[in-house]
Amino acid sequence: MQETNKQVPVTVLTGFLGAGKTTLLNRILTEQHGKKYAVIVNEFGEQGIDNDLVVDADEEVFEMNNGCICCTVRGDLIRILSGLMKRADKLDAIIVETTGLADPAPVAQTFFVDQDVADRTKLDAIVTVADAVHLSSQLTDHHEAEEQIAFADVVLLNKIDLVDENGLEVVKQRIKKINPFAKIINTTKCGVPLNEVLNLDAFSLKRVLEVEPDFLKSDHDHEHDDDVTSLSFVSDTPLDMEKFQDWFTKLLQTKGQDILRTKGILDFTGESDRYVFQGVHMLMDASPMGKWPKGKERSSRLVFIGRNLETMNLKEGFENCKSA
Amino acid sequence: MKADLNNFPQLNKTKFENRGKEFRLGIPVINAVTVGNSIAVGFGDGTVRIFSSGKSSEPIKAHKGIVLCMAKDGDHILTGGDDGRFLRISLDGNINEISNFGTRWVDHVTSKNGSVVCTSGNIVYLWMPNKKEPKLLEHDSTIGGVAFDSKGRKLAVSKYGGVTLWKKDYSNKWTSSDLIWKGSHNKVIFSPDDRYLVTSMQENQLHFWRLKDKIDSAMSGYGAKVKSFAFVGDSKYLATSGANDAVCWPFDGDGPVGREPICLPYVGKQLVTFVESFPNENAILTGLGDGSVYLSEIEKANNTIIIRSFTEFEVSAIAVTDDCSHLLIGDMGGNILWTSIWDEEKN
Repeated sequence: MQETNKQVPVTVLTGFLGAGKTTLLNRILTEQHGKKYAVIVNEFGEQGIDNDLVVDADEEVFEMNNGCICCTVRGDLIRILSGLMKRADKLDAIIVETTGLADPAPVAQTFFVDQDVADRTKLDAIVTVADAVHLSSQLTDHHEAEEQIAFADVVLLNKIDLVDENGLEVVKQRIKKINPFAKIINTTKCGVPLNEVLNLDAFSLKRVLEVEPDFLKSDHDHEHDDDVTSLSFVSDTPLDMEKFQDWFTKLLQTKGQDILRTKGILDFTGESDRYVFQGVHMLMDASPMGKWPKGKERSSRLVFIGRNLETMNLKEGFENCKSA
Repeated sequence: MKADLNNFPQLNKTKFENRGKEFRLGIPVINAVTVGNSIAVGFGDGTVRIFSSGKSSEPIKAHKGIVLCMAKDGDHILTGGDDGRFLRISLDGNINEISNFGTRWVDHVTSKNGSVVCTSGNIVYLWMPNKKEPKLLEHDSTIGGVAFDSKGRKLAVSKYGGVTLWKKDYSNKWTSSDLIWKGSHNKVIFSPDDRYLVTSMQENQLHFWRLKDKIDSAMSGYGAKVKSFAFVGDSKYLATSGANDAVCWPFDGDGPVGREPICLPYVGKQLVTFVESFPNENAILTGLGDGSVYLSEIEKANNTIIIRSFTEFEVSAIAVTDDCSHLLIGDMGGNILWTSIWDEEKN
């Protein structure tokens, strides 16, 4: 890995057709004077992108031949990002716009799996633009809409001028139920300060420590069994590292397809450092992240976002990891 | 600990660096192709430069962004760029645009006996000799690489799931068959005797097919993606990048199945990033991640000499002139060494 080469941040823009992705994209491109961006679009995308460097992509998803069944990546992104990194002029950022029906997982996994991509670029954040009027019905009808919310670091809830206060609250609760980590920003015409959607470093382990999830206190009632929901666990009793690794590795191996995103901060017996991890399906990034802050209680926190979480005995599994 | 720059050891330059010409252009070198006794180099700013003995090399503004791919076409070169242009360029810098694909990249180019090929997305565009309009060969996924066999009668197209092998019959009709292996295949080459087809994969491995009986196998064990590989001599070895050693697989007899490769080690445990066969010898030029380049004889473990010392930037191109008098080395930091190979040659 060449440390001298600064990694170029990549922002992924998802959202259903008509939610306002192109509006946000053009806002980013016109407001950031003097910055050099590459925009990767798909051939079915909305037209009219105001940038010098627009690259057509095929959204080609393929499986890695590494025995990991849900390890899909975007082959076109590997090709295009590797190409862009050979340019003589360095880019300030890259924005990937996905089609409305795209699953964000292969995009995110590309940054875990391909070493060239990981060396030279970094996934900055997944920003999902949602239409406040239509999101609820889209979530009911299309699992892709759920996935786009589940993977989001930021949900830009757009067109709020077209719903009443009550309607807005309902759709926000629905988003939080799927993804308590996502920051929800209310907008009309995607009017948002750009520092709230760019350079977020949302996939760094350091950020896992900083983001406080906004959990709903309430219920676990679902409309469908395959709804995407989130579950979280907290323990003040330190965990046994070996037990945790056994449980968690097996869990991701067997249920990784249903577990969309995981994040956690862990307190292991006998370890002075905090362990932080985050994952997309079966792929994980984990590391000790320094000592526990003074004056703050040590505790372990673990969050899952996924489908059929209630069938995975997560609570029991987590409890069994506590040191005797 | 602080580095004392005044006392920092100066590494000795090699004799090739001392007598050759060094260019510090600061523009990433993407590819290099030999055309006779000249070497064409493509850069990350869209320019091409032609290096030859006794001549200075002026930049030819070929593409807007990057020279993504390059191949020899008779006494010209073909280039494809991220500006969607597919070009034929003469050694004196005349540019002829063969086709333009707009915002779609031209990913691969090749030619053989007057037939010219470029790929964009999942389509091969094939211009037969003296034909104005290309023939379109469509595939079910994006193309990772293309290669003609030595006679130009077969065209291998690597992609997701394997290789499509196109064959031209005597009425010039192209028909295809598939060589299947799970995963995404990138660069593809034929062995010089056309008996084998080799691809590098998205995973850290290569794959080969023996064409007479379609026997295939993986060549694995690499620590990184294998981006550069080349047959050495008369198909005897396949030299490969992607490890700390230059890994050379035996392709004589029945090929590499069940046999061990020869591994040529280098000091410093750097990744091998580029390999090129040294013409007429059982030897390879090996470029490393720190910019150093070595010449090694494959079957004589201790017979390695250093051609270029380190530059800190990974070697991205090595080419030798057809008369074997000069070689060129380029790296991702935009450093180029053009040097005579033998002591008595001039630069």
